[in-house]
Amino acid sequence: MADVQSFVTGNGDEQRTLVVVFLRGGADGLNMVAPLPDDGYHNARPRIAITKSKAVALDGFYGLNPLLKELEPLYRDGTLAIIHAAGSEDSTRSHFEAQDLMEHGGIIGGGWLARFLRAQSNAAAGPLAAVALGSAVPECLRGAPTATVFQSLDDFSLGDNRNRLTESLGRLYGLQPDDLGRAGRYTLDAVGRIDKLRNAKYHPANGAVYGADRFSNGLTQIARLIKARVGLQAASVDLGGWDSHFSQATVMDPLMLRLAKGLSAFCQDLGRELDRTTVVVMTEFGRRLEENSAFGTDHGRGSVMFVLGGGIQGGRVLGKWPGLTKDVLEGPGDLPVTTNYRNVLAPILERHGGAGTLGQTFPEFTFDPVRLFG
Amino acid sequence: MKLPRRKFLKVGASSVALLAATGCDRMPRELRLLLSLQPKENGPFQPPAHESIDLLTHVLNRAAFGARPGDYEHFKKLGGTLTEAASAWFESQLDPDKIDDADAQYAVRRFETLNEPLGELFEYQEDLLQHELMRGTLARAVLSERQLYEVMVQFWSDHFNIDPSKGDCKWLKVADDREVIRKHALGKFPDLLRASALSPAMLWYLDGRVNRRENMAEKPNENYARELLELHTLGVHGGYSQKDVMEVARCLTGWTVRSRGQPPNFQIGKVEFNPAHHDFGAKEVLGQRIPATPATLPPEERDRLGQHELERILEIVTRHPSTAQHIGAKLCRHFIADEPPANAVSAVAAAFSRTSGDIPATLRALFATDEFREQRGSKFKRPFNFIVSALRATGARTDASLEIVDYLHRMGHAPFNYPTPEGYPDKAAPWMGTLLWRWNFAVALSENRIKGTQVDFESLRANAGGDNGLMAHLLGRKPTPQEAQAYHDSGAGLALMLASPAFQRC
Repeated sequence: MADVQSFVTGNGDEQRTLVVVFLRGGADGLNMVAPLPDDGYHNARPRIAITKSKAVALDGFYGLNPLLKELEPLYRDGTLAIIHAAGSEDSTRSHFEAQDLMEHGGIIGGGWLARFLRAQSNAAAGPLAAVALGSAVPECLRGAPTATVFQSLDDFSLGDNRNRLTESLGRLYGLQPDDLGRAGRYTLDAVGRIDKLRNAKYHPANGAVYGADRFSNGLTQIARLIKARVGLQAASVDLGGWDSHFSQATVMDPLMLRLAKGLSAFCQDLGRELDRTTVVVMTEFGRRLEENSAFGTDHGRGSVMFVLGGGIQGGRVLGKWPGLTKDVLEGPGDLPVTTNYRNVLAPILERHGGAGTLGQTFPEFTFDPVRLFG
Repeated sequence: MKLPRRKFLKVGASSVALLAATGCDRMPRELRLLLSLQPKENGPFQPPAHESIDLLTHVLNRAAFGARPGDYEHFKKLGGTLTEAASAWFESQLDPDKIDDADAQYAVRRFETLNEPLGELFEYQEDLLQHELMRGTLARAVLSERQLYEVMVQFWSDHFNIDPSKGDCKWLKVADDREVIRKHALGKFPDLLRASALSPAMLWYLDGRVNRRENMAEKPNENYARELLELHTLGVHGGYSQKDVMEVARCLTGWTVRSRGQPPNFQIGKVEFNPAHHDFGAKEVLGQRIPATPATLPPEERDRLGQHELERILEIVTRHPSTAQHIGAKLCRHFIADEPPANAVSAVAAAFSRTSGDIPATLRALFATDEFREQRGSKFKRPFNFIVSALRATGARTDASLEIVDYLHRMGHAPFNYPTPEGYPDKAAPWMGTLLWRWNFAVALSENRIKGTQVDFESLRANAGGDNGLMAHLLGRKPTPQEAQAYHDSGAGLALMLASPAFQRC
C-alpha cells in the first residue's frame, strides 16, 4: 500500500496538482486566438472578426483577443502554451454528447480524470485528493476514488469547537498500531490544517488580484488547498455560458475577461508552487467559422486549449493549422480538429505520474502526444 | 411502537399463509419464520455483553449491514446458544422470499422507476433513474429484513459491474439491477451469469452489441469475452489464453441490443441475435471444440445453432474449476478477510462445484468454515457499509436522501458509480483515505443535521440501558476503558462511537 502520508500531507516536491478548467457551452477558439493573416477568417466574419490592429500579436500568425491580454505575460514568459484546432472526435455538435464524450474520454463509463486517479495507485487516495468547485461532480471525475464537491473550506471541516471530539478521536486512533491508526492520525492532521485555513483571512501572494466572480473564487480556493499541502491531486472548475449563437460579443467578452483575470491571478498567486501545478483549459467544441445573422456563431468542431504551469515550454501556439479554405472545412463549414484533446492531456498526465497508465485513462486510443514539455 | 391495525392484520395473515406453505418443513424453521415476522419494538433492548465480538454479532456484522437496536436480543432467541442462534439466523436469510419485508418494500415504493418495465425506462430523465436507483439501493440495505440478500446484491453488483454513465446503460441499468442482480442474487450462478450475458445493459457496457463478424475481414469485439473470462468466471490467472478470449468473442458474435435512435422506439433495449453478424466457423474454447455450422442447413436451424453457442460458452466457463476457485476466493475476501484463507476458499469452491453454482449452498459452506467464525472485527467496512451500518445501529429514520448519497460520492463509493468493469475494490487499502467523510457523517447524523434522517439519541441511549449499553450496542461488545473514557470526554459520545476505529470495522 502506498503510504497514506504522501497523500494526506503531501511531501512538497512530489505532490502535483492538475487543475481542469472546462469552458461549457462550446467556446469559440477562433474568437480567442485568431489566425490573423488567414483571409478565410476575415471573409467569413466580416462583422465579428478580431482585426489585426486590435489583436495581441503572439507569433506573427496568431493573435490573442484583446480581452485575453492578461494572459500575454504568461505566454511571453513561457508559462502558457496554446493548442489550436484542438477538440474531440465527436461530430454530433450536441453540447451534451460532446461534453460527455470528452469528459469520459470516449464512449465509456466513468470520467477520464477518475480513471487516471484510480490507476495512480490502487491504494489510498487522501480525503482531499480530488475536488470540484460547484454543486455537482463533473463527469470527468465520475468514479474517482474520492471526489468532493465544495464551495467553501467549511465543507472539509468537522465544524466549529470540535476540539474535544478531535482530541478523543486522536487518542483512540493513536492506540491503533496499524494502517487504520496511521490513516486516522494523518486525517486529523489534515483537519487541523484546513481549520487553520478556514479561520484565517486569505491574502493572495505576489500581489495577485482575483476577480470577484465565481470562477476566480473557485481558483482561489484551489490555490489555498495547493498551498496548504493537503494532498490535492486534481481539481475541476467550470466556467460556463459560452454558447454564443446570438451577439457573440455580449456573450463572450465578459467570460474572456473572467477567464484571463482568474488564470492570471491564479498563476501569480501560486508563484513557485506553479512548478508542481498544471492548468488545462478545454471546451466541448468550437464554433462555425462563418458568423450568423445575429452576430453570433453556431456549433462547430475545433477550438483552442490552453495549458499553463510548471515545465511547460510555452510561448508557442501548437497544433497543425489546417487553413480555412472550403476544402478543409468540416461539415457545415467548421474548423476541423487536427489535435485530439487526449494528445494534449497525455503529456500532462505523464508529468503527473500517469506515464504507465495512459492506456487505462484513455482506452483504445493511439497516442501522438503534443510536445508541451519540449 | 404500536402497530397500525391494518399492518398488524397483514403481518398476521402473511405469517399464517407462510406457516401453511411451510408445513412440511422442520418445526424449528417455522418457529424461526414466526420470530422473524415479529415486529421490531422500539423499546428497551439488551445489547451484547461480552468482552469481544460474539458469533451472533459477528454474523450480523458480515452477513448483514450490522445490527439495529434490538436485533441482537431478538435474533438470540432463534437458538438455545449463540452459535445455534447465529446458524438459525443465517439459514433463514438464505431463503429471502420467506422473510416478510413489508417495511422495506413500502419504503422503496416511492422510487417508481425501479418497477418500470424496460421499454418504459426510456421515458424518464436519466438523472431521476440514477437517483432512484441509488436511493432505492441505500433504502433497501438499511431497511430490508433480507439482509444477506442485500449484501449479496452488493456483491454481485460489483462482480458484474456496470457503470450506467456509458451510452444507453443510463436507462438499462435499472432493468439489469432488477432482472439480473436482484433476481438471481441468492439463486444459481449459471442463471445469474446467463441473465448478465443477455442483459441489455451488459451488452451495452462491454460492447457485446457491436461484437459482429459479417465477413472474415471484420474483427470481433473482444471486450465482453475478456471480462467474462477474467472477471465474471475463471479469473485473471484462471488458465485461459488470448486465443480463448478471441474464440469466445467469435462464439458471441451477432448478439446485440436495440439502441436509442434505432426505430421503432418500443423496441429500444430489446436483445436480439442477428445471424448475419454471427461467425459460424469452427471454434475451440478452453480445449472444447465447437463445430462449424454448415451453410447448407435451413436458416432457422443455423439461427438456432448460432444462438446455442452462447449457452455452450456459458456452460464451459461455469463448469471450469477456476470459476469455482475465483468465485470462492471473492466470497471469502468479502466475508472473511482481505487475504482470503486458502482452506476456506477450497471449502467454498468445492461447494460451488458440487452444487453447480448454487449460491445458498456455497454461502452455507462459507458460514461453516472456522476461518469465517474466527475472523471477527477485522474487516475494514467499505464506505457504503459504514453509512448503512451507522443508520441501522442508530435506528435512524431515513428517506435515503441524495444528501446521504453525496457522502458516498465523496468517499468514492456511491452505488453504480465505479467506472471500470471490475467493480469497487473489496480490500481495506483503497478506502483508508475516507475517514474524514466518515467522521463528518458521524457528526451530522448524531446531530440530526441530515435532512430527512432522524436519530432519537435520548431514547436510543435509554433503550440500550444507558451509556454503557449504548456503547456495547454500537461496538458489538463491551467498550474498552479507553473507549468509554473517550465517549465521555468527547462531548459528542454518539458521533465519537460512530467515528471510532472499532466502528470502521466489522
